[in-house]
Amino acid sequence: MKAPTNAPQTSPKRLSQGAFAWLLIAPAMLFIATIVAWPLAETLRLSFTDTRIGPNFAYVGLENYQDLADSRKFKQTVWRTFYWMFLSVGLKLVLGLIGATLLNAAIPGRALFRILVLPPWVIPIAIGMIGWLWLYNGAFGLLSGVMQYVGIVDKSFEFLAYKQSAFYSAVVADVWVGVPMVTLFFLAAMQGVSRDLYEAAWVDGASRWYRFRRITIPQIMPVIVSMSLLSAIFTFNSFEIIWILTEGGPRSATTTMIIDSYKTAFSSRKFGEGAARTIVIVCLLGIFSVAYIWLLNKVSKHYGTK
Amino acid sequence: MATLDLNNISKSFGETQVLYDIQLSIRDKEFVVFVGPSGCGKSTLLRIIAGLEEATSGSVVIDGEDVSLSHPVDRGISMVFQSYALYPHLSVFENIAFPLRVAKMPEAELKERVARAADILQLNDKMKLKPAQLSGGQRQRVAIGRSIVREPKIFLFDEPLSNLDAALRGDMRVELSQLHRDLQATMVYVTHDQIEAMTMADRIVVLNQGRVEQFGTPMELYHHPATKFVASFIGQPNMNFLPAKVTDTDADGLSVKTEDGLQLKIPVETGSASIGENVDIGIRPENITQGPKGLKLNVSVVERLGGTSITYGRTDAGSRICAALDGVANVREGETTELTLDPNDCHVFDASGTVMRRLQAPEISG
Repeated sequence: MKAPTNAPQTSPKRLSQGAFAWLLIAPAMLFIATIVAWPLAETLRLSFTDTRIGPNFAYVGLENYQDLADSRKFKQTVWRTFYWMFLSVGLKLVLGLIGATLLNAAIPGRALFRILVLPPWVIPIAIGMIGWLWLYNGAFGLLSGVMQYVGIVDKSFEFLAYKQSAFYSAVVADVWVGVPMVTLFFLAAMQGVSRDLYEAAWVDGASRWYRFRRITIPQIMPVIVSMSLLSAIFTFNSFEIIWILTEGGPRSATTTMIIDSYKTAFSSRKFGEGAARTIVIVCLLGIFSVAYIWLLNKVSKHYGTK
Repeated sequence: MATLDLNNISKSFGETQVLYDIQLSIRDKEFVVFVGPSGCGKSTLLRIIAGLEEATSGSVVIDGEDVSLSHPVDRGISMVFQSYALYPHLSVFENIAFPLRVAKMPEAELKERVARAADILQLNDKMKLKPAQLSGGQRQRVAIGRSIVREPKIFLFDEPLSNLDAALRGDMRVELSQLHRDLQATMVYVTHDQIEAMTMADRIVVLNQGRVEQFGTPMELYHHPATKFVASFIGQPNMNFLPAKVTDTDADGLSVKTEDGLQLKIPVETGSASIGENVDIGIRPENITQGPKGLKLNVSVVERLGGTSITYGRTDAGSRICAALDGVANVREGETTELTLDPNDCHVFDASGTVMRRLQAPEISG
């Protein structure tokens, strides 16, 4: 017997639009949950424990954070990290700007120069740092040798053996690694600036410096802001450069927060205390990123890019 | 006072020569338009006048002073770019004030000058906006404002209307002509659009492949084109050309027979023309009428514009013809029609493209 014609039609069940959207982003969310959210949550949990090596641990509440707040040494580390970051990022931006301007100039063979800036960025950091280790070496190093030859020092100088020189030597190596990327981003931004703007300004009598100040800088400002933040995060979390050169020494002179966290968690096996340190880093960088997005918005609006 | 003389300007980029021995004298307060197809060197010539390019040889003389090596500011020129070249991060006010800021002008005078420019260009209520918030025509005005404030002797315009839509372009043509009258300044204007050239120019320079084809008033160019190139470039729709052979020459003109067998006696200075020589007869579409004893046209397309019917087709011998016939002309696509040419309206070009001067052309005023 035939079904009555007025029976409800069986159509596939329709998902609401919201559910469909969630379904679409589910794979990405699963991915992020596995590699970002879960480790982060686990680190947060760990930071409330006194976990060391071995199976036994206890929840200690905010004790790890309390210890950090009370620690003069940790405060020094925080300041040192910010000093490290601002100094290094500042130098990278200034050198990157100078480098990009030179590479953007109409000089013969600039294609070659553009390639020549790449090596510090392209070669593996570990290899680059071994190079710097040799440069900084007192007995056999090039720098010490040249300084003796010129007469700045009268006996061999171990750059990485003294607190101050070790810190600034690490900054130099970090800047060396970071400048090429900043330079290339600035160069790309500068090449996006319309030639007509420069010609118009030139016809109106603007000097080279005036054009740089009132056209180049404002035009690439959004890129400068983006690169400052990216570079700041990289530098803040820069680990291998310092670790290979000094392992945070001498006497903690190059110990930044990320080095401190690693040493606490993995060298001293105090996983709970180490986790607390990384959570502090997360919070600081989080604040930093929010400030950046706000700033980038403001800059983009002000400079008319949107 | 601002006269501009270009003396024997040549320009090469490496092996490629783009300008050959350009010789022009532009009078005070004159509106001169450089017109030509793309790649003819018109923009390069303008950039040489501006000082953005250096001529390979020759000199730029403004008010009797050789400024070939001077900075644009010292030349007393200002330039409006095709892209407007407005600074996107600066307000309209600051964009217009830019040249004055560069010159470190005192604030009070600067404000007054910018306000005056804004008045002329009707930008008063837009001063705080950024270029991105303006329409194409307003941006154009800001660019012009920036060139006005410095009170230059000579204004240079590099295809300033090419980024605007057709309607706005018409309005801006009128505004620019008005501006030229108000400012009483010498202006040099580059365009590839012959309508802009015809409507705005006091005199037009037609450039082709780096050479000046002709320099004259719009009406001179229309009625007495010096070469076949000028004849084909000036006028809309383009002039028709019929290949022909000279059958006789005398003081009253040239007798020719076209490939289609049409015999005409055209009143031109025959010069050294000899019987049997190949020539091109030029006739403007608007000078062709329907009538008997003329040219048979196989009509392929008719564009009815209302007032006129632009009729395209070929003669039996294969010459392409475009005729601007009456709006209600009895022509149909796919049929044939008879066309009449008045010999007085015809132009004759010899094999090298040089014109034989017409004897009967209308009197030109202005």
